[in-house]
Amino acid sequence: MSAPTAEPAPGSEPLVTVEALARGFAGVPAVRRVSFTVGAGEIHALCGHNGAGKSTVVKMLSGQLAPDAGRILLDGKPVALRNRQAAQRLGVALVDQELSVVPALTVLENMQLGDIDAGFFKRRRAALRRCREVLDDMGLDRVRPDQPVAALSMGERQLVEIAKALSQRARVVILDEPTATLSEAESRRVFAAVRRVAARGCAVVFVSHRLSEVLELCDTVTVLRDGRDVATRPAAGLTVDGLIVTMLGEAPHRLEATRRPDPDLTHALRIGGLHVPGRLDGFTLTARAGRIYALAGQLGSGASDVLRALAGLHPQATGSVELRDRSVPFRDPVGAARAGIAFVSNDRKGEGLFLGKSVAGNLVATRLDRLGAGGLVGAGRERRTARSLAGLAGLPADRLADPVLALSGGNQQKVFVGRSLGRDDVHVLLLDEPTRGVDIGGRAAIHRLLRDAADAGLVVVFASTELEELLELGDVILTMRDGRVVSTYDGGANGAALMRDMTEGKDAA
Amino acid sequence: MTTTDGLTSPRPATAGASRRRGRPGAPAVAFVALMVVLVPIAVTTDRFLTLDNARAILASTALVGIAAIGATLVMIAGSAVSLAASQTATVVAMVFLATLDRGLVVATLLAVLCGVVVTAVQGFAVGYWEANPIVLTIAAGFAIGGGSVWFSGGTPVNAASGDYDVLNATPLGLPLAVYVLLLLAVLAEAVLRRTTAGRRMYLVGENRAAARAAGLPVGRVTVVAWTFSGLCLAISGVFLAAFNTSATTNLGGTLTLDAIAAVLVGGTAIAGGKGSALRTLGGALLISVIADVLLLRGYSTGAQILVKGVLVLAVVVLVHLRGPRGSR
Repeated sequence: MSAPTAEPAPGSEPLVTVEALARGFAGVPAVRRVSFTVGAGEIHALCGHNGAGKSTVVKMLSGQLAPDAGRILLDGKPVALRNRQAAQRLGVALVDQELSVVPALTVLENMQLGDIDAGFFKRRRAALRRCREVLDDMGLDRVRPDQPVAALSMGERQLVEIAKALSQRARVVILDEPTATLSEAESRRVFAAVRRVAARGCAVVFVSHRLSEVLELCDTVTVLRDGRDVATRPAAGLTVDGLIVTMLGEAPHRLEATRRPDPDLTHALRIGGLHVPGRLDGFTLTARAGRIYALAGQLGSGASDVLRALAGLHPQATGSVELRDRSVPFRDPVGAARAGIAFVSNDRKGEGLFLGKSVAGNLVATRLDRLGAGGLVGAGRERRTARSLAGLAGLPADRLADPVLALSGGNQQKVFVGRSLGRDDVHVLLLDEPTRGVDIGGRAAIHRLLRDAADAGLVVVFASTELEELLELGDVILTMRDGRVVSTYDGGANGAALMRDMTEGKDAA
Repeated sequence: MTTTDGLTSPRPATAGASRRRGRPGAPAVAFVALMVVLVPIAVTTDRFLTLDNARAILASTALVGIAAIGATLVMIAGSAVSLAASQTATVVAMVFLATLDRGLVVATLLAVLCGVVVTAVQGFAVGYWEANPIVLTIAAGFAIGGGSVWFSGGTPVNAASGDYDVLNATPLGLPLAVYVLLLLAVLAEAVLRRTTAGRRMYLVGENRAAARAAGLPVGRVTVVAWTFSGLCLAISGVFLAAFNTSATTNLGGTLTLDAIAAVLVGGTAIAGGKGSALRTLGGALLISVIADVLLLRGYSTGAQILVKGVLVLAVVVLVHLRGPRGSR
């Protein structure tokens, strides 16, 4: 919009050229083939929804990941970015999604941190002067170099982070979701700083979920989908809706419910005014047995906080939860489980499976008290239960004795979900990112499991950032942003509407 | 595309497979190597292969072994170790001796109650308030040790009657404590393998956050483990009192570290989630056998302690630090 159009002069080399980059993880391609160029003075956006390959491209550009194929050129010369230091030496600076400034250190100390040019004996006066210049450049005239970063606002910290990148004489600045945690006013200051950076002749790569800010700030947009660049266009001619359509591709196929939702509300989960300070602001929902409820929201939207609060894992949650007309206690995971709520965390390794135990041991872990009388665990009953659960979850029976660690991501997730299946005392299944780190085949199988669980009469509520998953599985979809529900779709949702709600809120619609 | 960058672990299947082949190998090899060295030395040691010596080994294992069985449950349940074992056993011994004038049964019950309550309270703080067990038990050790000085006035507590002698009986030539040790080891193993509480100890120790998120009663499981440990410590303290007939404030001696050594040599994971009471029994016996061989060969007490330390060190390096999660 107001940004200077900085088309590279005809004939001159672009500052950054990315040529046919590819990279996979454990055989699963994350980036298949991505090419684009960024000229000096250009602000270039990378867009795409979760899993499109943005972060992987950023990691390769900043030297954190080596490409499997393709190459990166600076000033037309191929470069090998072996690590972040090597990238920094060549003038490529990354401002990360997560802030890497150290709150306990001063602004100056933070700028010198990780700076390969900072000598062991620092010439303090020169460094101070340089720091002052960079801060002024950033519009941070109220920030002093000797101030501890802890005293600054989040926006100012983000700006210091950008200033740090600049103070290291970067020519290519990569910003990965720099405004995700910032207020509107703070975002403005970051934009102004980014424009100044570009005006000085840097090439800027800007990654963001917020499409309207992408269109406002950037000169060119490259859209990634399924690890490929599907379009590169000047931002001037684009609209948010047009961008969303490009990001989505074709509409996914739904996994339809085979049974009517329970008309009777006696088996329902009623959530009233669920509140978590700073995270969730008054979430209300009556969820019927037999239906799948999808919470659509990016990180920090509150979607995952709804699930954690219901599972008793949020120490500050308030509100009211009733299941089958019985009140469910808050802040008490044991009480929530006893009431019939099972939770599948998005952190399968840290907060899900018992990694040192066998598949069978994991499958029966939460129902040991049902395998015998008087606190005893019957060996025969344990074996039979594990075998029948493996059948239910679609796990090969000959792997029951294997350590769960030896399974693929998809099978591990089947164990995690399967642990809560087939029991008459579980009425609600909560899942946070049910198919994170799961391959395509495993994903379809997990979706089938969830549909079967709903058909068996459970209330299923899941949170996801993935549009296909939300559309394929959700009977009712609630979009969330900034701790509130934006819209509720009882049928008739489409990807464009969901994405607009998740990224822009209602006002942009 | 469901794969988000960095979340996919690199080839979990092959990593697991190679671990399955490789990992149990190291402790097994170490055990065989130890036996290759130990057995020839032991059998060629004068007076080692005698009935009396076998009895001596078992008798010297009993008190440490009983305490170690309890410590095994605490370690499996993820509470690491209690560093207050010696002090607890000392206080239990004093209570037992001082109350013997009310008869053996009353004195034993009071002493056991004392040990169980003192230890269960620590378990409560660890289980429900997430107290750090090491720091907590160092503090508790000081408090309990102070309690024993206050209780005894700093002078030895003598037996208030001669009833304790029943506990020094030696049916079939073995001290009663040896039978109690074997009984407790079998009981603890059964609890660990075939009861809800025992099985949950493994789960809580393996991954406390996962156990919590799954709605398992993490606090209660921890308290049960510590209570059982308190019971074992109390029994050990009562036998200690009966054997010594009087109790000074340092009666417990090196019980704390000896018990931990037996648990570690038995291969229980210091970070929790893995282990066995019967293997702890084996660990305790192994330490006793080595000490016995050194004693028979005329080495000093210092040499015995040194060798015990080296053995524990070797086990920790070979077994615990090599495990996939042992270095946590």
